[in-house]
Amino acid sequence: MSNKPYRLAQGGSHIDRTQRVHFTFDGKPLTGFAGDTLASAVMASGSRLFGRSFKYHRPRGIVGLGSEEMNALVGVGDGARHEPNLRATQVELFDGLHAVSQNRWPSLTFDVGAINSRFSRFLPGGFYYKTFMWPQSFWKHVYEPLIRRSAGLGKAPEGRDPDSYEQIHVHCDVLVVGGGLAGLTAAKAAAASGAKVLLADENPELGGMGDLTAGSINGACVIDHAKVIAAELLDADNAHVLRRSTVVGHWHHNYLMIFERVGDHDPALLASGAPRHRLWKVRAKQVIMATGAIERPIAFANNDRPGIMLASAASALVERYGVAPGVNGIVFTNNDNAYLTALSLKKAGITVRVVDSRARADGTLIERTKSEGIEVSMGSVISAVEGSMGVTGVRVAAYRRGQGRVITERKIACDFIAMSGGFNPALHLWCHNGGKIKFDDGLQSFRPDQHHDAVMAVGAANGTMDVAATVGEAQMAGEAAAKAVFPKARFPKFKSPEIKEPSRAPLEPLWFAPATGKYNEGNKHFIDFQNDVTVADLELAQREGYESVEHTKRYTTFGMATDQGKTSNINGLGVVSEATGKSIPEIGVTTFRPPYSPFSFGSIAGVLTKDLFLPVRCTPAYQWHVDRGATFEPVGQWRRAYTYTGNGEDRQASINREILAVRHKVGLLDASTLGKIEIKGPDAAEFLDRIYTNTFSTLKVGKCRYGLMMNELGFLTDDGVTVRLAEDHFLMHTTSGGADRIAAWLEEWLQTEWTQYKVFVTPVTEQWAQFAIAGPRARNVLAKLAPDFDISHEAFPHMSFREGKLGAYPVRVFRISFSGEQSYEVATPANLGRGLWDAIMDVGQELGIEPYGTEALHVLRAEKGFIVVGDETDGTTTPIDVGLDGLVSKKKPDFIGKRSLEQSYLKGPYRKQLVGLLTEEASEVLPDGAYAVRVVKDKPPMEMIGQVTSSYYSPTLERSIAMALIENGRARMGETLSFPVEGNKVIRAKIVDPVFYDKEGVRQNV
Amino acid sequence: MSDVYHETPLSHCAPPQGLSIDLREIKDRGMIDLRGFASDKTFLAAAKKILGMDLPRVPRTSASWGDVKALWLSIDQWLILCAKSKVAELVVALENELGDRHSLVVDVSDMRAVIRLEGEGVREILLKGSSLDLLSNDYKSGTVRRMRFAEIAALLHVVEDQVFDIYVFRSYANYAWDFLLATARIPTRVKLFGKQI
Amino acid sequence: MLLVHCPVCGAEGDETDFHGGGQAHVRRPATHDPANVGDAAQGEYLFMRHNARGLHFERWRCDRSCGKWFHAARDTVTMEFKAFYGITELPPRALMEAATGEWAAYFKDKLAAGKSS
Repeated sequence: MSNKPYRLAQGGSHIDRTQRVHFTFDGKPLTGFAGDTLASAVMASGSRLFGRSFKYHRPRGIVGLGSEEMNALVGVGDGARHEPNLRATQVELFDGLHAVSQNRWPSLTFDVGAINSRFSRFLPGGFYYKTFMWPQSFWKHVYEPLIRRSAGLGKAPEGRDPDSYEQIHVHCDVLVVGGGLAGLTAAKAAAASGAKVLLADENPELGGMGDLTAGSINGACVIDHAKVIAAELLDADNAHVLRRSTVVGHWHHNYLMIFERVGDHDPALLASGAPRHRLWKVRAKQVIMATGAIERPIAFANNDRPGIMLASAASALVERYGVAPGVNGIVFTNNDNAYLTALSLKKAGITVRVVDSRARADGTLIERTKSEGIEVSMGSVISAVEGSMGVTGVRVAAYRRGQGRVITERKIACDFIAMSGGFNPALHLWCHNGGKIKFDDGLQSFRPDQHHDAVMAVGAANGTMDVAATVGEAQMAGEAAAKAVFPKARFPKFKSPEIKEPSRAPLEPLWFAPATGKYNEGNKHFIDFQNDVTVADLELAQREGYESVEHTKRYTTFGMATDQGKTSNINGLGVVSEATGKSIPEIGVTTFRPPYSPFSFGSIAGVLTKDLFLPVRCTPAYQWHVDRGATFEPVGQWRRAYTYTGNGEDRQASINREILAVRHKVGLLDASTLGKIEIKGPDAAEFLDRIYTNTFSTLKVGKCRYGLMMNELGFLTDDGVTVRLAEDHFLMHTTSGGADRIAAWLEEWLQTEWTQYKVFVTPVTEQWAQFAIAGPRARNVLAKLAPDFDISHEAFPHMSFREGKLGAYPVRVFRISFSGEQSYEVATPANLGRGLWDAIMDVGQELGIEPYGTEALHVLRAEKGFIVVGDETDGTTTPIDVGLDGLVSKKKPDFIGKRSLEQSYLKGPYRKQLVGLLTEEASEVLPDGAYAVRVVKDKPPMEMIGQVTSSYYSPTLERSIAMALIENGRARMGETLSFPVEGNKVIRAKIVDPVFYDKEGVRQNV
Repeated sequence: MSDVYHETPLSHCAPPQGLSIDLREIKDRGMIDLRGFASDKTFLAAAKKILGMDLPRVPRTSASWGDVKALWLSIDQWLILCAKSKVAELVVALENELGDRHSLVVDVSDMRAVIRLEGEGVREILLKGSSLDLLSNDYKSGTVRRMRFAEIAALLHVVEDQVFDIYVFRSYANYAWDFLLATARIPTRVKLFGKQI
Repeated sequence: MLLVHCPVCGAEGDETDFHGGGQAHVRRPATHDPANVGDAAQGEYLFMRHNARGLHFERWRCDRSCGKWFHAARDTVTMEFKAFYGITELPPRALMEAATGEWAAYFKDKLAAGKSS
């Protein structure tokens, strides 16, 4: 490896030679200039090696000039800021940048995995499917770890990402994708009408390939013309230009995402608190694709050696960065465009020859090349490359299309190759959203055809390769897009610029340059560099019968992974075409999927990390629970106090204490999360009769009733207590998790089925803080709160409702009980919730009041055999299954789910029914979800006859209790069932009535 | 127990620092949810008699009379805004006037947290949580829109060109507040469509 | 991400601001004659849905704005919405005529009866 300085004495439009930048690559300190990419700066240092290939660990250098780069994937940054798999050609250099190569061990120049290359005959196409198949146990313990260590791409960062990320939405009239000549021209044309134009380009500099394009516009070079337009757009009131911003995906109805790298290139900006990346979610009325074209490599033997690159990349090195790709190069082409590269190299003082596969061609550029004294070999191909860590020379052979292997060759010494197999329009985004494409014989590639959304393509993305036609069609597309949005838009008259450009001879397809030996004898003709797929692999797949190109893709892995076939797709199709004798359009293309190029997880998460990861809902008394040391459990998005362990108890102790307080003294529960819905109208009662399984039209004003809801399938979906506030006015309670769902459910039936009903439904869950005061001393607590209404048992019996005041607090009080104790649920406007909670705790202190959490609540209700929808039901459970037949009306002609309960499959004798369980060993608590089996066997499978739905230790009964859904359970009363649990253990439990405590329901009714 | 202790959802939040806009909780807003059919002339007349103005019937608009505002929520639903101290009186007046016409009046003053955002660039900040086209003419002063904001349900009221009120359900107040603190930081400022450097 | 338009309030937005409610025009037999709903009719109502390639009719709710349900006609291949119409309405006549397969059979009687919005 030569360490000669490769930085040219002059030139380099992107770099600032006055600003030196210090960085390291694989720990080695290097310097470059401001404006360099990591790729150009490393190349300038004389090094060409950037990584090892995925499968064979072959040494690789850069091939491309931007996002199409498939070899030079590097990791940038340290520790938590490390980001793997970035393309060295897109990494902008800054002072202090640390980059490392990937997929090599122990070092880039000596890599143990390269042995794979020697054994490559054992790694043919489809090797994943052929090898590592047996013995089965080897996969998990031997093959997979081995493959993962040797084949992995970059390393994940260590630690939590210290940077911030965000997302933003934007709507525009016209989105222009790509800031080259075509995109800028179209954007300017559209903006001239006043349309809101958004333009996104993935590079730091606008102008696209303008600087590498021959010709002039109004006497200026193409790039200068483009920069003038760019400046106008940046200055316009109705345009927005995004640089370093890749449009990564295009979805239905012109929804697109743009990945903006805000701070990657500028550590100072990041340090100031700017986001590292920003993800734009764009809805565009019109989209103009000016995504350009990507140059094709050529498949010749060992075409992956470091120093072999696309002609456009060689030009970019010289023109943009003042970097020589080598001292003595060969341009290998099948088209005229690469002659520009030859001229550029010559001008920079680099020795260069041209090898052209076409028998003859006579464009202006070829003439100029010859007149500059550059040797041009027509009708020739590179048949092989010499050198392993780099290029030392090539073998050149005479060529005509369709010939077999090469017989005679001549050797030419060189140290780099610039290749061009033509250009593929970048169709990825066009295709993401279902755009159709057609094959173009002139390009030997696909170009856009029809699109069902409002999308147009212009310039090289549309297969238009010359400047004059590009400017013309971009102008028309820009105006057409604006006109589609504003039909009356007026445009300033467009004066076609005067454009001069060279004439070009047609290209000739070259999918494969033959060599002397067989492909797999050290002669690898790479098609997909990133996935190490060769011509031989594709041909093998054809011989093995993978006729569909989608199958060939999956079998060989060509066109997959981060590269998404940017450089390999059409070349692969060309090889398949020659192997099968079918034309490329007959073969068809594989599917392009988003993203166009990878984007960061940070940008996908945006600000929704840490505390914002999930919306969390807090009740008005939430802070009290926190201060009291509650542990919380999520109920939907709510955080509910689970138990109050603040005084150092363990959880079971605090749960038991809370339960016993409710059974013997009094407890206070924050029940604010319960769903609350006001339902009012002349048809409200009849409507509720349709919604609930039981009847509400008979409920008296001021009274409460427990109701069950089914869906149309006859399965339980929610339950709760509903109060009749007035003849035409109800207040419904739903489960905490069901509040929004049930409100929507009521609206749906009112709007779509019983549209004749006059009923309004207004959810009021959050208007109220609601607390349950439960226990034998509940009324004493209430009395101390100075109610302005009679709270005696006679005046305010169980299942009734009062509205009034407790002291100064306006309240709604429901005498309902989910614990089986005397109980009052007190609701007050939410902003008074904390105050009332404090007041209740205050007056309750001398009565021994204890706050209790959701776990105590659950044990209390289980002791009473009350179901919880979602615990005792699983979405396939009917009211009859849980023993609530009494709540299913026999009289009402129709209610939701009624007809389904009569379907034969819900009536069979083998339905699982709710029962209580008492374990033989009183202290043993069955695991929640444990299965009851018909016969216990040594090992699974065992026939299951039901499962535990709730299981607790009951401090009230001083033993464990459980509920379960058991096949034909009610007929099995008294039977003992076996529950095999973890650790080869079997717990035995007797089926009993599910009401364990106060079967007569006396306690709540005093 | 002679007096109540009153606490708004964001009363514990300190005045924010380092933001590119002003952000604060509006603590004294009374809110009434009013339901009735816009096609029912007697309903509209009764509402007008009490509120002093026609209920807005054009979707996503608002109307005001004195310090009372009516925000359109749906074709049969409005949110009436007034001073908190006036709510009880207004609810009773509406209920009395509406009588047994099909309608529903509910005091929902405590149901939502109200966050006021004010300053240049406020629309761009909201675009970090909303997919609506907030830069368009559809969102001029007086516009009301229920929407999905930062993954939760919210109500947007364009008070003035650069003054917005966001209403979120009370339990989400902290989440919405924290989301705004994260997206309104000065270094994350975005200016959309206009002269760029 | 579909762009959906509510015909009730005119709100337009991402499909995540709306709630898709499945196939439109499914008749609930029990609403009409609860005493005489056969097992087959109930099974049809609960479980059987069209799976149209091309023109399809479906229900949506304006979840984040006015809260009202409406109908939409959509091409399931191109995702293009062909029409939005009221929840108690039939599709525009031209779309009923353009319907194919099970939808054509469904709309046959309606077209014959001359009903259309």
